Amino acid sequence: MGKRCWWAITALVIYSVISGSAVAADPTLDVVKRRGEVVCGVNGSLPGFSLLNAVKEWEGLDVDLCRGVAAAVLGKADRVKFVPLTPQQRFQELASGGIDLLAANSTITLQRSAGLGLQFTTPTYYDGQAFVVPKKLGINGATALASRGVCTLRATTHEANLKTWFGERRLKATPFLFDNQDDMYEAFFQGRCVAVTQDSTALAATVVRSGKAADYMMLPDIISREPLGPYVRRGDDAWADVVRWTQYAMLEAEALGITRDKVSEYLRSNDPRVQRLLGVAPGNGKALGLEETWAYNIVAQVGNYGESYERNVGKGSALKFARGINALWNQGGLMYPMPFR
Amino acid sequence: MQLLNKLVTIGLAAAFALPVAAHAESTLDVVKKRGQVICGVNTGLGGFSMADSQGKWKGLDVDMCSAVAAAALGDATKIKVTPLSAQQRFTALQSGEIDMLVRNSTITLQRDAGLGIQYTGVNFYDGQGFMVSKKSGVKEIKELGGATICVAQGTTHEANMAGYFRSRNLSIKPVVYESQDLMYQAFFGGRCDAMTQDSSALASALATRDKSGEYMVLPELISKEPLGPFVRRGDDQWAAVVRWTLYAMLEAEEKGVTQANVDEMLKSPEPLIQNLLGVKEGNGKALGLDEKWAYNIVKQVGNYGESFERNVGQGSPLKLQRGVNALWTKGGLMYPMPIR
Repeated sequence: MGKRCWWAITALVIYSVISGSAVAADPTLDVVKRRGEVVCGVNGSLPGFSLLNAVKEWEGLDVDLCRGVAAAVLGKADRVKFVPLTPQQRFQELASGGIDLLAANSTITLQRSAGLGLQFTTPTYYDGQAFVVPKKLGINGATALASRGVCTLRATTHEANLKTWFGERRLKATPFLFDNQDDMYEAFFQGRCVAVTQDSTALAATVVRSGKAADYMMLPDIISREPLGPYVRRGDDAWADVVRWTQYAMLEAEALGITRDKVSEYLRSNDPRVQRLLGVAPGNGKALGLEETWAYNIVAQVGNYGESYERNVGKGSALKFARGINALWNQGGLMYPMPFR
Repeated sequence: MQLLNKLVTIGLAAAFALPVAAHAESTLDVVKKRGQVICGVNTGLGGFSMADSQGKWKGLDVDMCSAVAAAALGDATKIKVTPLSAQQRFTALQSGEIDMLVRNSTITLQRDAGLGIQYTGVNFYDGQGFMVSKKSGVKEIKELGGATICVAQGTTHEANMAGYFRSRNLSIKPVVYESQDLMYQAFFGGRCDAMTQDSSALASALATRDKSGEYMVLPELISKEPLGPFVRRGDDQWAAVVRWTLYAMLEAEEKGVTQANVDEMLKSPEPLIQNLLGVKEGNGKALGLDEKWAYNIVKQVGNYGESFERNVGQGSPLKLQRGVNALWTKGGLMYPMPIR
């Protein structure tokens, strides 16, 4: 073995020890506090989730989660650096410490949360296979698509899901199959099928880009499981808690009716749930390693989950998503904040 | 060169020391070596964890423990059950006396962030309710202003109840008991006008005492009480095993894989079922388990729906409806993360 080779190995080993122990010794929460900024990996080109708008401001549901974390940790929602990442880069970038958290419409799966040295926190958007139809057809739900042509990609889980979902309802699915996405959307926009099916985020992105969003609508039915949520590094549990409870704080605020405009008034509420959320009754901030006003700052600067949802993907956006399964648990959805106490 | 060699040796040693040290502490390794999973459970809560007349532990929480043993060890019977009081439970987990706590414990911020432990998922969505005698004529919680209410110490119920009544400007007289059994004894002995606990536990108390003719659980719930298993913080490999064990039971229910048909399902062409049962490999490896981990869970314990019905549902004295504990496709909140 030559000298040069030994040097290389030594350098590599020392580097890996230093970088490895750096990650272990400096939990991300401390790093972020010292740096005064949260570095958030995002998709960067997905309408409703993370996109630079016309005035060069980041907006989207994922963007709001990052801002919520910054408000919780630093008291200032604008202390975020957004790093657009490709699907290929994103997990490597998180694992290597290049970003503090990944909020890039990534599906939570076993392989990603058990095998890559990462962990998910909690879903921020329950995505899944959905349907887009022309508004003029007056279709309100997916069952109305039985026995009618649905543009579908061949040999995908979407094709299988379609058959299963209609089959369970004793209805007939009639997929109109395509080998690639461009051909499928072309056929749909030409009116060769009554609906097109893909994950709701992908459907929305394509429809918005086509410039025809006003003529089309997404049906409220979501027929498969693609839970999207933030990832952090494994073992970085204090930071995982901060990200997880930021999302729960936005949900809890919605459940209690606390909005961005009204949050200051709620500081005088005598409801113990409100007092605990907003830090009037202290303890939760301390447990998380944050100021007691952490959740107040989130709501005051970013808003509650419902506000963020409507602004980015719901009624106030070009996407016009219904709340569907992303409604609160007591309003027909799956969004359930764990208790703040 | 000697210095270089030394550096390399030190470097390599250091590089390996870190992961090895972390590895040695993983509860999964400890469990595999011991050949047994030690679970902290309730001392006796019908439907969740209770010893039957032969001394065999049964219930939804016990099934969760057995399922983890099936996943980690391939044998659902390799469990040791440690009954714990509400006061003992978190200390027992922190100290390493138990591998996991499945003791109808509510997931809360303070417990998740403050106690050196972490939750892994929700195995039962519960909520705090109130029981009254039928002859009292009480139909709603707000009619309990001024009432004497039995409550157990060391639980979230005492504080929840105080908050609920305070924010409605109602006063109550709480009577606090050291243990659940003493509380039941007092309440059924007529010491209080009402008793408060999670609605599942109240239903269980009624069923095991055969008192549903005289008493009733009021329909309103005053809190969210998501119950679930806890493991130690930082023990993330083990947390993943416990978390995905629950998801596997839910996924099996959603895909119609049951204890009875699991062998046939091995031949299913459906990718989600092949992923679940390890026909398509990779998930076992990612978790540090045998590829048959989820097959073993379903074969030996059953899917979530089977466990629910047998322990707290229609096949049990409790007769609880699935309600919010139904799968997300059936109007409930149970939603397995994708096993792929």
